[in-house]
Amino acid sequence: MNITETSNGGVAVVALEGRLDMLSAPEFRNNRSIIDPEKTVVLDLEKLDFLDTSGLGAIVGASRQKQNLACGIVLSCMNDKVRRVFEITKVQTLFHIFDDTAAAIDFATNRQSAST
Amino acid sequence: MSSIITLTLPGEIMFVRFASQTAASLARLLTDENPPASDGAQFVHDFELAVSEAFTNSVKYTGEHDALQMLTLTFEFQPRQLTVSVRDANPPFSIDRPAPDIEKGQIGGWGLMLISKVMDSVTYRRDGGSNILSMSKAI
Amino acid sequence: MKTILVFREEKFAWAHEAFPFVHPLLLPLCNKPYIEYPLDLAILAGSTAVRIVCDGRLDAVESYCEDGSRWGIDLSYAHMHPEDSDEILLGKNRRFCGDERIMIVRGFCFFVYNKRFDYKSEAASLPECKWAACPAGGSITLYGAPVTPRKDGKDAPMSIVPLDGMANYYRASMEALETGADNYVLPGYGVEPGCAIGRNVVMSKSVQIRKPVNIGNNVQLLGDTIIGPSAIIGSNVIIDRQSVVESSIVLDNTYIGEHLEVNGRVASGNMLNDPVSGASIVMEDPHLLSGIRESEILSTLPRKLTHALIALLFIVVLSFPFLLFAMLLRIGGLWKSSRIECHSEKPGKTISLDNIELDVKKPLGAIAAALSMDRYPMLFRVLTGQLSLIGSTARVAEAKHPNTPSSSLAYRPAVFSYAEAEEWPTTGGDAAIVERYHLAHSNAAADVGLVFKAFINNFHKKSSA
Repeated sequence: MNITETSNGGVAVVALEGRLDMLSAPEFRNNRSIIDPEKTVVLDLEKLDFLDTSGLGAIVGASRQKQNLACGIVLSCMNDKVRRVFEITKVQTLFHIFDDTAAAIDFATNRQSAST
Repeated sequence: MSSIITLTLPGEIMFVRFASQTAASLARLLTDENPPASDGAQFVHDFELAVSEAFTNSVKYTGEHDALQMLTLTFEFQPRQLTVSVRDANPPFSIDRPAPDIEKGQIGGWGLMLISKVMDSVTYRRDGGSNILSMSKAI
Repeated sequence: MKTILVFREEKFAWAHEAFPFVHPLLLPLCNKPYIEYPLDLAILAGSTAVRIVCDGRLDAVESYCEDGSRWGIDLSYAHMHPEDSDEILLGKNRRFCGDERIMIVRGFCFFVYNKRFDYKSEAASLPECKWAACPAGGSITLYGAPVTPRKDGKDAPMSIVPLDGMANYYRASMEALETGADNYVLPGYGVEPGCAIGRNVVMSKSVQIRKPVNIGNNVQLLGDTIIGPSAIIGSNVIIDRQSVVESSIVLDNTYIGEHLEVNGRVASGNMLNDPVSGASIVMEDPHLLSGIRESEILSTLPRKLTHALIALLFIVVLSFPFLLFAMLLRIGGLWKSSRIECHSEKPGKTISLDNIELDVKKPLGAIAAALSMDRYPMLFRVLTGQLSLIGSTARVAEAKHPNTPSSSLAYRPAVFSYAEAEEWPTTGGDAAIVERYHLAHSNAAADVGLVFKAFINNFHKKSSA
């Protein structure tokens, strides 16, 4: 899995590419922005080809570490495969999900400034 | 007519992709030969997902009692159906566990639930000292 | 122009409770699932793409609607939080929206429109505004600048009825039926206006149809029934002799017994709901009940005797194969036997039965299953009158799920089931319908034929597997 990280104001954009499963979950969990409880992250899933429940558990676990539980991790650009896993497990209810990364960044920035 | 392919892999997490991507390739072979009425790509993805989940589960529980074991994956082709069985030597388990409730903060334990949602039939049996989890999906 | 359809689970929770077997967005309204009405509206308003957004699950809706190619549009799905405002929704779906004009349709509502009007140019020319709204929460809002200048002309009619309970659901269905294909896009074959009939509908000559009616697929209307006026019959429905269905909705997979008068009701499974008072009752057909009581001594005795005689025949003919297979399979470990408690024909009582599991993957087990060897010990129970030879599949009595048959009319535990004789699915709602039908109609002579049919079907099914 490739993890690309860019910063956009106070919000980190973490783009995942490839497969997020039990094998790559540790790499994701140990990412600097993911691990930082104060950092608001937009997780760009557009190029994520494969996600199973081990990977899903890593995403949910990471969001639980965030200070801002509701908007610590905002998801963007889910493809149909990934959306299916979120929907079957009902995990979608835990996240704000955007189909556009720029819109997700706007939302995360707003929420961040509202909470501080 | 049906044909059977058997794959034996070490029960280590680094082989999870080998297992699931092999499953995906075999599913793709079947859909190429018998184009499905509905979405062929989804059939392939569901199969890949189910095998990834089953393999991960087997590996997770291996760690608890045994240093190294071999897992056996058996793929059975039928004209309009593909079945995969995962055999391990872990302690017995139940496939009828209730699904985790995320509203109560439970995470994890989704694997079997996901498998039963994406596959048409899932059966579990204990054979000697082995667990055999069989999963089928019609094309 | 694109449309976002927004649904909140909370608003259709009542429908989930009243009709648990169908996703509320797929609940039949007149003769098509609810979701198609807002979709039609979006298409009439000129949408090329529609996104369905919900705070709950959509998988059932997705597998029904797929990618929308059936309607010639791009259909996609997304998730939201219940409290999301329109502004947040536009953000969450920014890529979908692009820079097009957006119509947001909110609410589990019935939209009263008329397909003969020009909604397309109206949607394109109205300024950014709320096009329609109702106090209970349904609304249609347009975002983005108008595409064409406002034309003078008649405003297309548009109002919203919230589907907030059985009463409005009933009203909306009747509205769709009565104005019918004039205003809405309704499928089905209609020889004349006000009368649409689906595929594979069997009706006897004495059936009376009074317009307007709408009948689904795979429906049987038996002798002297009167359907309509204002009747909506779903798919896989049997309306039995001399029953009347008027101003009512009969949902899919429902059996209406003999001599029943269903007026102003919503029938689903064995529930009969009154949309006005909200009361619901379990359907029990008084005439059917008295009919069986009357003939209890007259018909039960010959039936039991016939069943016992045929069971004896089976016992004798199958005794040699049974002894052989039981011995061989036991040695091979392919024969697993256990005791299970099942509901007996008498309400509240149980009987314990031998449950034999054969390993059908092995050829020997498969042959034994084809010869119904697993049922052999149950044949003796027919001799003692505890089981019927043909009837319903025995239901396991569980402490946690009482699963008690609602009445003995609908349940007679047996060695073979009527569903097996009819090559119907042998479990679930479909089986229940066919079993109920035969329990009410079959007699001793017909049972004999059906027993052999079930045995032969079972043989074909198991031996081909």
